[in-house]
Amino acid sequence: MLPVTEAAPALDIRGLSKSYRIGHLRGKRRPALRDLTLRVPRGAVFGCLGPNGSGKSTTLKLLLGLIFPDSGDAVILGHPMGARAARQSLGYLPENPYFYDYLTPREYLDYAGRLFGLSPGARRDRARELLDLVGITPAADVQMRRFSKGMLQRLGLAQALVNRPELVFLDEPMSGLDPLGRRSVREIILKLKAEGSTVFFSTHILPDAETLCDEVAVLRGGSVVAKGRLDQILTLDVSHMEVLVSGLAPPDVSGLAPGVETFRSMGERLVLHVPEKQLGGVVVAVEQRGGRVLSVQPVRQSLEDFFVAEMGQPAKGEAWTAGA
Amino acid sequence: MRRVAAVAHNTFRESVRERVLYNLLFFAVIMTVSGLLLGELSIRQDAKIIKDLGLAAMDLFGTLIALFVGVGLVSKEIERRSLHPLLAKPVSRDEFLVGKFAGLGFTLLVNVGLMTAGLYATLLALRRGADPALLKAVFAIYLALLVTVALALLLSIVTSTAVASVSTLCLVIAGRYSDVILNLGDVVPGMPAWALRAFMILIPNFRNFDLKDRVVYGDPVSFGDLGWITAYAAAYTGTVITLAVIAFRRRELT
Repeated sequence: MLPVTEAAPALDIRGLSKSYRIGHLRGKRRPALRDLTLRVPRGAVFGCLGPNGSGKSTTLKLLLGLIFPDSGDAVILGHPMGARAARQSLGYLPENPYFYDYLTPREYLDYAGRLFGLSPGARRDRARELLDLVGITPAADVQMRRFSKGMLQRLGLAQALVNRPELVFLDEPMSGLDPLGRRSVREIILKLKAEGSTVFFSTHILPDAETLCDEVAVLRGGSVVAKGRLDQILTLDVSHMEVLVSGLAPPDVSGLAPGVETFRSMGERLVLHVPEKQLGGVVVAVEQRGGRVLSVQPVRQSLEDFFVAEMGQPAKGEAWTAGA
Repeated sequence: MRRVAAVAHNTFRESVRERVLYNLLFFAVIMTVSGLLLGELSIRQDAKIIKDLGLAAMDLFGTLIALFVGVGLVSKEIERRSLHPLLAKPVSRDEFLVGKFAGLGFTLLVNVGLMTAGLYATLLALRRGADPALLKAVFAIYLALLVTVALALLLSIVTSTAVASVSTLCLVIAGRYSDVILNLGDVVPGMPAWALRAFMILIPNFRNFDLKDRVVYGDPVSFGDLGWITAYAAAYTGTVITLAVIAFRRRELT
């Protein structure tokens, strides 16, 4: 068991490993998580990234005591993993949440509040506040059997916040949401951060992580392949410039300037990839040949670029999503 | 205790909203029809038949609910993963399981209570008098239902829902014919005595809870008898629920 200290980070995971038994044959196991070690500082938004099947949900289930580790341990908010005291200050949104069909959102939030020992008045007020926050107040008294996936996801987020948690675990929080819903969740995550909560979320939607996370860990096949601040993982320097030009045909590009690396057509326009240092020469050359520079866009490495470079194509059984 | 009560309250609410108590309609129909049809018989006969029918229906409907709702009580939550967000809250697995048991126990109490009221209403409507001894048989039926729920709960945690349903049903049937087990030694000569004793201990003796005939035919049922079957039910249910708690603590919720 790890030592518990007052100055503990929100989450301190040491060497967590987990494997699942395959079929009914004893001894045959498939590793799902291998020696995961992470520290998440208080107040951070931490992204646990990886393709489907990389070990993200397994990590969350281990931390919540839903499954048990083969080895390793974790301290959550200064308490041992699975302790009631830790769960008192936690929020959890499972992936593809299922709630009771026969309850209304207001009743479910009341039930969740009872499990936290909130008074009836506090439960009523908190339910009203959360239903408003996630935008399902009009359906507050409708049984959930009539809910869409997106509405269940919104309620899932609301129930994760009933106790004003210090640490929130969100498993694929954008799943099933329309663009407005995704924006709303992003705003809620940023609001939680502003209020001092720590958010640990798993996702395979990279732009979400890029927008929200202070730090990330990238998992693949149950192992961490990269972790740290985004500026440590990504090359934030400009890698090249994208120059949009009109009035040039593809043959005009050859010999345009030594710096032009490649191009692609966009209708009657061309996109030129130009090293930053060669930009001036390329602009002059384009104009000399009767073309016109429409825009110049600096390009930095994105998380998606990082993944493609770091891991190549998804392994069998894995799926990356650049957006959705 | 607050958390156990919250889980129990929600379980009762589920039973009501998922129309588990609709079986009361069938019971009402049975009581009404039997009351109308038996009006022609002699006073003593029709009262006995109505009591018999009422208690048997109470036993049958209660057992069906205890068995099939009991099997799904926790296993359905595991399959649908609806308990994941709950167990991430400060409710322990023990509290959750005990709360589910208490919730269904309360549902059955309401069910048996309303059926008892229906049975007495039928007897009073036919001017056959409200025999208070019936309550002793009803109490015993309720204890048997609690034992059934505990068995269904345990088996649903250690096996699949389908296997749990079948095996609980087998245990309920075996427990109602436990005298046959006693005579197995005669039927199967090579059967060792210790195996018979083990069977008798493991399989719940539901015959202990069958006071229907004694009550209907006016045989006395002492409070000592009731105390004994209460102690048996408490010991058996307590043991089975403890085993269920241990199994549930070790269960991985993937």
